[in-house]
Amino acid sequence: MSFDVPDDLRYLESHEWVRVAGDTAEIGITAFAQDELGDVVFVELPEEGAELTAGEDFGVVESIKAVSDVYAPVSGTVTAVNDRLRDEPELLNEDPFGDGWMLEVEVADESETADLLSPDAYRDQIE
Amino acid sequence: MPQTSSSRRSGRWRNDTRRTAFGETPWDKPRPTSFTLDSGVSLRLVLLGETPWDKPRPTSFTLDTGVSRVKYDQARWTDDSDDLYEPLLSEKASKTVDIEDSPLPDDLTRDSLSLPDPAEPELARHYTRLSQMNYGVESGPFPLGSCTMKYNPSFTEDVAARADAAIHPDRPDSTVQGTLALCHRLQDYLGRIGGMDAVTLQPPAGAAGEFTGIQIAKAYHDHNDDERSEVVIPDSAHGTNFATAAMAGYEVVELPSGDDGRVDIEALEAAVGDDTAALMLTNPNTLGLFERDIEHIADIVHDAGGLLYYDGANLNALLGRARPGDMGFDVMHYNVHKTFATPHGGGGPGAGPVGVREELAQFLPNPHVRERGGNYEHYEPDHSIGKIHGFYGNWPVLLKTFAYIARLGDEGLRDASAKAVLNANYLAEQIEYEVPFGPFHHEFVASAGEQDAADAAKRMLDYGVHPPTTKWPEIVDEALMTEPTEGETKRSLDQLAAAFNAVAGDSDAELADAPSRPAAKRIDQATAARNPRLSWQALDDT
Amino acid sequence: MSDSDSHATGSPYAPQTAAETAAMLDAVGADDLESLFDVPESVAFDGEFGIDTRSERATRREVARLLGRNADLSEFLGRGHYDHYVPSVVDDLASRSEFLTSYTQYQPEVAQGFLQALFEFQSMLVELTGLDVANCSMYDDATALGEAATLSQRVRSVSGDRILVPEHLREGKRAVLSNYTEGPDLTVEPYPMTDGVVDVPALSDQIGDDTAMVYAESPTVRGVIEERLDAIGDLAHEHEALFCIGSDPIALCLLERPADVGADVVVGDAASLGTGTAYGFGLGMFVTREEYLRQVPGRLVGASEDAADRRAYTLTLQTREQHIRKERATSNICTNQAWVALRTAMHAAWLGPDGLVELAEDCVTRARDLAGRLDDIVGVKAPVHGRHHFREFLARTDQPASAIVADLAAEGFAVHAVDDHLVQVCVTETTADATDEFVAAFREVAK
Repeated sequence: MSFDVPDDLRYLESHEWVRVAGDTAEIGITAFAQDELGDVVFVELPEEGAELTAGEDFGVVESIKAVSDVYAPVSGTVTAVNDRLRDEPELLNEDPFGDGWMLEVEVADESETADLLSPDAYRDQIE
Repeated sequence: MPQTSSSRRSGRWRNDTRRTAFGETPWDKPRPTSFTLDSGVSLRLVLLGETPWDKPRPTSFTLDTGVSRVKYDQARWTDDSDDLYEPLLSEKASKTVDIEDSPLPDDLTRDSLSLPDPAEPELARHYTRLSQMNYGVESGPFPLGSCTMKYNPSFTEDVAARADAAIHPDRPDSTVQGTLALCHRLQDYLGRIGGMDAVTLQPPAGAAGEFTGIQIAKAYHDHNDDERSEVVIPDSAHGTNFATAAMAGYEVVELPSGDDGRVDIEALEAAVGDDTAALMLTNPNTLGLFERDIEHIADIVHDAGGLLYYDGANLNALLGRARPGDMGFDVMHYNVHKTFATPHGGGGPGAGPVGVREELAQFLPNPHVRERGGNYEHYEPDHSIGKIHGFYGNWPVLLKTFAYIARLGDEGLRDASAKAVLNANYLAEQIEYEVPFGPFHHEFVASAGEQDAADAAKRMLDYGVHPPTTKWPEIVDEALMTEPTEGETKRSLDQLAAAFNAVAGDSDAELADAPSRPAAKRIDQATAARNPRLSWQALDDT
Repeated sequence: MSDSDSHATGSPYAPQTAAETAAMLDAVGADDLESLFDVPESVAFDGEFGIDTRSERATRREVARLLGRNADLSEFLGRGHYDHYVPSVVDDLASRSEFLTSYTQYQPEVAQGFLQALFEFQSMLVELTGLDVANCSMYDDATALGEAATLSQRVRSVSGDRILVPEHLREGKRAVLSNYTEGPDLTVEPYPMTDGVVDVPALSDQIGDDTAMVYAESPTVRGVIEERLDAIGDLAHEHEALFCIGSDPIALCLLERPADVGADVVVGDAASLGTGTAYGFGLGMFVTREEYLRQVPGRLVGASEDAADRRAYTLTLQTREQHIRKERATSNICTNQAWVALRTAMHAAWLGPDGLVELAEDCVTRARDLAGRLDDIVGVKAPVHGRHHFREFLARTDQPASAIVADLAAEGFAVHAVDDHLVQVCVTETTADATDEFVAAFREVAK
């Protein structure tokens, strides 16, 4: 089974994706990750204004039988949280790269993105 | 719940057996031949020595020899509607009582109380029907790995129900000599069985036993002014081990398993040190494998100043063959609802007595029972950790434990383990799924391979048996952790194997649609968790 | 029947005949049973336990002989463990093997019956407390209180480590709480009581912003009905502390709903319905607000639908529990007291709301009447506290309490000694018939 790995994103080995546009980054988990978890039933995210540190966990995703921490691909300040996930955690399953986004972050240090996996590198990892 | 003074659903007659745990009526729809594991048929096969695995396996596995059988199903009363299986008590009969003219001032009382109000005949029917939608050890094979679902002898229920056992815990010792004598003897029996010097009966469950044991380890280190902050636990251990260590305030150090499924000695040496309070281990481990290096493991832990804790979940494998105390364990708990056949009661009550070596006896929970000149008394051990249960633990369960051990004695206990191990080995031999690790004892972990283990389990329900524990331990892909216990006959193991093998031959689609025969079809877990409705009051909200 | 067909092996519950055993050994390629054990010689056990095998009848006789040493006493005892009449239908229905011998409901499709019964149990506790979420059992009231304390630490928005408990608290409960609070570094502090109830001004002085939880009981361990629960709740909430109330299901049928006095958590022992005295065997209630749902310890049963679109029940939110979240679980509890909860729900349903309220009212009037009769005895004052009581009360005796207890035991009655000259007496419908003799005996021993 092959999973969608959009070419315009960067990735973490722990299956988070980040979409960087200028000094703003959108963060979520990959199609592979949601498939591994199964039906997502609960998402715990930080509030707006929270500070993220690259590589550290910022939230939790729960399915029926698994709990997974979610790690920050970049450091920065949370500028928006996808509140729909509170009532519709299934968006993570249905549209992980779109409606299932988690956070929008004001990136503190753009150089950090250089450490992230390219789509090809991530594709290699999950195959 | 409706706040009306009374509500009752209307009933109607119907020939209906969907409501039993496994009761699709054969005339509701064609019964697939592969479902026909009826006892008469397979019995015939066994008597002829014609087990299906002696012959080339047909692509679609079936035990149906074309013998036509007359099915009999009872007429059943049902008053449900199409959207539920059995109305809630509150939907059958409910009543609101206003609290008026009570002997208390109004400001100390509630205004009203709304609860079910069934007459006794309705109550009896309600719970009888609920019981018919439930599978127990007496319903059929229950090979749930790590749970030891063995037959619970009926007579132990009569023992626990004795009027002279129904006593209050705060009576003076002199008036409860019988109870104390029995507790003392059970402490002694369990000590002998585990190779331990002293045993407390207070912990009300296995996890409470773990908590007791880890608190004892902590008290021991504190007593020696030895500050230690970590508990080491193999990655394949029961979840309770990790949670217990955390609850007691310890950091958890997870130990990766070796390639052979056992403790990786090098990893252990690296993990254990001055901070190690204890290593928690079960033996045989969750794969059913005996930790052959147990003495070396004990030395490593003891040399570092730590204690070795035995999780007694798998003791049914070893009765009379090996004792934790002889292997070097310092503290252990017994799961009496596993090893000593007290019923699981739909999740509890159990009991988790804890055994310790002599030097740790001073830390046992308060109170402990001892004998003095033919009389028995409670006393507080010198450096007791205090209490783990508000009183003395789950006394009725301990009574059943005593009765079971006394009934079996040395010979019976040894035989129970021998037959438990034999049954696991025999069953593993009969099933198609691969069993990657061995030699195992009372349980084995098969792999469902390309199938989803959880789906395979649901499909087993269609074949009339309870499935194994699934997807754990994670060291085996799509794990089917299987523990048949000593309670199954060769014939029932053959039937159980047939169910395994039928599932192994089924398609992913058949698995995904399963189960179709139990009272309820596949239950939507995601909706239950996304929109929690945990009471009948919450049902009205939606 | 030849030997090889006999089931008479060592364990009467291992049914393999000798012939079957031989065939099975042959199938697995083993010479004998011993060769199936992969146990190194150095740790193999070749001794005997020294436990004789008995017949079923002999085992029962032996237990009868042992328990025959228990004195036959009329127990006027309570303090957290109570005897109420349990109807036969509860024993009968709960003993059905489909309930009794089943496992935790991890395969809900074949466990609908038990799940529904537990769902009904949870719902009854929701009605009794007015709070939203009841789990389907803890071990007993003491462990439920311990869990409440650790919950308070997890859910409180500001840090705090003090758990305030009433001065009058059963020692067993205090000791269990002490073990539960040791790991998370919480401290347990008693606050004063005056004439049997909480000294609210003193509590007000003692509480602070570092208080994580305030615990109060009604009825208290001395049987007193607490009169100022709402004021205690207000105090707790002013300091962002959780307010935890300890009670029991029968009392809750009559007393103020905990939700109406600000309770965040309700704990207690529910075995008083459904089980009767069993040497302290309990059933921990744990009920809380919906906002703390994800921090609740233990198992929860929820409603869902199955593939046939019918209402069905399942264990839910299991990611809170140890088998999934391991060291980050809300508790280490696995095995609980499900079957005891089943009995409690059955008993509550058998009584119905009329029966429950009547039973609760009897608990008030019986205690009141008996206290009045003891108070008439020279050398006895009862109740000690001029309050409303539930089931039990303190009596002050001129004679030492230890002498009263010993002398009453000689007459066939049991009461608690609480302090040098304080005894505690509990009465329910199961001892009501013996009350006249009890009062007469008390009159003799109080002289």
